[in-house]
Amino acid sequence: MEPTPIVELKSLSKTIKGKKIIDDLSLQLYPGQITGFLGPNGAGKTTTIRMMVGLMKKSGGEVVIDGQTLSADFEEALSKVGVIVENPEMYKFMSGYKNLLHFARMQKGVTKERIDEVVKQVGMQNRIHEKVGTYSLGMRQRLGLAQALLHRPKFLILDEPTNGLDPAGIREFREYLRLIAQTEDVSVFVSSHMLSEIELMCDRIAVIQNGKLVDLRDMSETQEAHYYVEAFPADQTFELLGSLGFKTESVNDGFVIQAEKTQIPELVKTLSTAGLELYAIQPHRQTLEDQFLELTGGGQLAETAAK
Amino acid sequence: MLRLLQNEWMKLWSKKGTWIMAGLMVVLIIAMAGIVKWSDSLMDDESDWKLSTQSDLENDKSSLEMGVLKGESKRHAEENVKISEYRLANDIAPLKNTSREGMIYNPSVGSIALLLTVIVAAGIVASEFSQGTIKMLLTRPVKRWKIMTSKYLAILIFGIVLMLIGFITTILSAFVFFPSAGGQALAVSGGNVVEVSIWSHGLYMLLLSFVNVIITATFAFMVGSVFRSSGMAIGLSLFIYFTGSVIVGLLSRFEIVKYLIFTHMDLTMYESNFVLNDDITLPFSLAVLAVYLVVFLIVSYTVFTKRDITA
Repeated sequence: MEPTPIVELKSLSKTIKGKKIIDDLSLQLYPGQITGFLGPNGAGKTTTIRMMVGLMKKSGGEVVIDGQTLSADFEEALSKVGVIVENPEMYKFMSGYKNLLHFARMQKGVTKERIDEVVKQVGMQNRIHEKVGTYSLGMRQRLGLAQALLHRPKFLILDEPTNGLDPAGIREFREYLRLIAQTEDVSVFVSSHMLSEIELMCDRIAVIQNGKLVDLRDMSETQEAHYYVEAFPADQTFELLGSLGFKTESVNDGFVIQAEKTQIPELVKTLSTAGLELYAIQPHRQTLEDQFLELTGGGQLAETAAK
Repeated sequence: MLRLLQNEWMKLWSKKGTWIMAGLMVVLIIAMAGIVKWSDSLMDDESDWKLSTQSDLENDKSSLEMGVLKGESKRHAEENVKISEYRLANDIAPLKNTSREGMIYNPSVGSIALLLTVIVAAGIVASEFSQGTIKMLLTRPVKRWKIMTSKYLAILIFGIVLMLIGFITTILSAFVFFPSAGGQALAVSGGNVVEVSIWSHGLYMLLLSFVNVIITATFAFMVGSVFRSSGMAIGLSLFIYFTGSVIVGLLSRFEIVKYLIFTHMDLTMYESNFVLNDDITLPFSLAVLAVYLVVFLIVSYTVFTKRDITA
């Protein structure tokens, strides 16, 4: 059974000065799921997110959050959303607590007790009454997370959340997100260009390029098994692999074949009886990076980066 | 809305600068009183009020007879003649400018309050952009016009608080620095000369100068929210404040001057004898200012609510 999505983008479009930045983008996000949002620089990630949180006006289409359309009932729709847009810029001249109080006052039904609870959740009890200006980046990120969680959002949207965090901080952040997605059934939408990050964190990824959604896939999907084979001489190896019926692809000095684990011992035997010198045979896992570059086209990426 | 206003108020007073401004208000007013006291002590004139009232009376009469006065200026001269005659007939001395009563009768709080309120008004939207907090502020389930309104109200309340701090400081320094010099303020009401309380006149002057505070601060608010730069907003507002009367002077031959904002900004001119243009009256000024105020607000609100936040 298909669960009901908490957030739905319906053919969302944005045109700036006659140029289509976002083109007919549709996407569903589900409770308890972390969805990664990937795309090369300038693909429209930030624009999409800003249209979802009311920072930018859309040119066409609709954003529906928990049954409410953003354009029709802005306040009701956004009250379900927790937002961290890039680095959470706080009021540096006020204490962390006053910042939280400030954002709590802009939501309905956030009590003082709830503020204290969230402060404890992100582990900031000791320094919450100090000025934000004295905080480290990691602490500011935590405070940013705290303000996004105050009103128990059903949907959490994060734009480049781990920018500037150290590895320990990133890990902590990632585990925290997983925890709230699972325990509170929150739907999380994370944009990032840190592919390894997304790979570790997300259940699902959406890839955007030139304002269009080019791919949407579950990370849990069982990948077809691939193995890397390196043997000498190469041309004979290639022929042999082909004759055995493997889908073969030349990579570096060897080949990547599509094969099941159970087929491997037999393959090793065959290769050695054929008199080939086997140097290596190992599982080949295509990283998200490879997939990503494959999808968006490396050349395209380099081109946009060079601009 | 109250909670949004609380937020703006909290942010305002969490900045050191705001406290410095309030302190500056107190210090400047005390300093001005001190300077007035000091320069007055150098003059040491014991002139007779009857003689100066007599000469004022003759001046006013002769200018009325020449027939060059019209409008507000004429009305002022006629009233002054009545008051002067009444003073001489009933032996009622006028207030001395450098006395306790004179200070309260005509408090000079407006221009300092205006400067400080303009600084706050210029920054209240612009600073959210420069701090980057605008993204945090506008991703809440609150419509933008509500945020704008809370900010505008915060400016008005800040202006009122500054005026009150200024007035209280004026009263205190009047009592500390200046002796009571007697005298009685008079005014013409309904054709009759009446006595005027220094307190009600002081508050009335405050109210008139507060209108200028509102107008200039609203202008700064508009520039600040349109251009997102508080420096530009402060600069332009003060430029208008200081050069306004010069521009009116340059354009005084033309009819259009009646509809310029500069002509009307300083409403206290209706209480002094110096009106920039003789064809205007207080209600007319208020009407013109109201139009400008509405235009400023419409521009501020429209730009702010329509803007895509990209930075």
